[in-house]
Amino acid sequence: MIGIFMLALAGLTSVGAYLLGARRLGLRPARLGAAVGKTLETVGAVLIFLVANLVVAVPLVVALRAVTGTFVSVYVTDDTAWLGLSLLQGLAFQWWREASRKKAGALALEERGNLG
Amino acid sequence: MSLDRVCRLTGLGGVALFLATAFTPLAHALTLWMAVEPQLVPSDAIVVLGATVSPSGILSSESTRRTDHAIDLYHRGLAPRLILLGGARGSGAIEAEIRAKLARLHSIPADAILTESRARTTREEAARVRDLARSRGIRTVLLVTNSGHMARARPLFERAGFEVHPAPSDTDFEPTAPEARLMLMRGLLQEVLGWIYYRIAGYA
Repeated sequence: MIGIFMLALAGLTSVGAYLLGARRLGLRPARLGAAVGKTLETVGAVLIFLVANLVVAVPLVVALRAVTGTFVSVYVTDDTAWLGLSLLQGLAFQWWREASRKKAGALALEERGNLG
Repeated sequence: MSLDRVCRLTGLGGVALFLATAFTPLAHALTLWMAVEPQLVPSDAIVVLGATVSPSGILSSESTRRTDHAIDLYHRGLAPRLILLGGARGSGAIEAEIRAKLARLHSIPADAILTESRARTTREEAARVRDLARSRGIRTVLLVTNSGHMARARPLFERAGFEVHPAPSDTDFEPTAPEARLMLMRGLLQEVLGWIYYRIAGYA
């Protein structure tokens, strides 16, 4: 019941955002698919960072136990903060790629202008 | 495959898994699928594996569920002893002691309760219980933990020399709130990874 309520509410606010974007902010509805694709890419980048962090953490914990002789729990990987850190990493990485693409695009345009 | 495509497919998988977990009974179905059949037969002791406790002494819902299940098994006359496990976070409250207090509140005599709070992993729990049980002639145990954890814990206790009868604590627990479902899935994933880790390390 809670789930249905949450989905319905998220659907409602999404429709509201769509109407606001399309009618007031001048966003192009045809580009919504591309935006969803970019969102999935960013989510994917976050998940890749999450998996990478956890995959590196386990052998590191085992190595720390062996080197320092003190007990470090593998349950250190079971912390929600990993998701927050991975979110920051994923977002920064995606925006870095996006900014590099824009810069490359601008340079290409400039070059074309010089040639013309 | 380009990095964009890899990210997009990973993201799609992640979003699909999130929606399926939060808004369908997927996590509960997986729990039931992973669950071993309970073997509630008379045994020498009921062993309750540790979960978590807050520093102020509040048992986590997982810890409470396991303890309540064990208390119920005791009152059904399935074993004369209760072995309660669980350490502390730093210098905070000790889980095994809080559990013992709860058991006494449910009319279980103090001399029927054994506690062990030094073990930090499931492997250490099996070793500590073996040490506790040796002098008391305990050979058969009802092992209480959640279904996902049982797959990893059972072989460890069998290796420690016990005849293990699984008594999973969560088969009747079906969360309906999205957050509870996500927590259940997180626990399941954690146990799958733990099982893989124990296999690689040669513990199970």
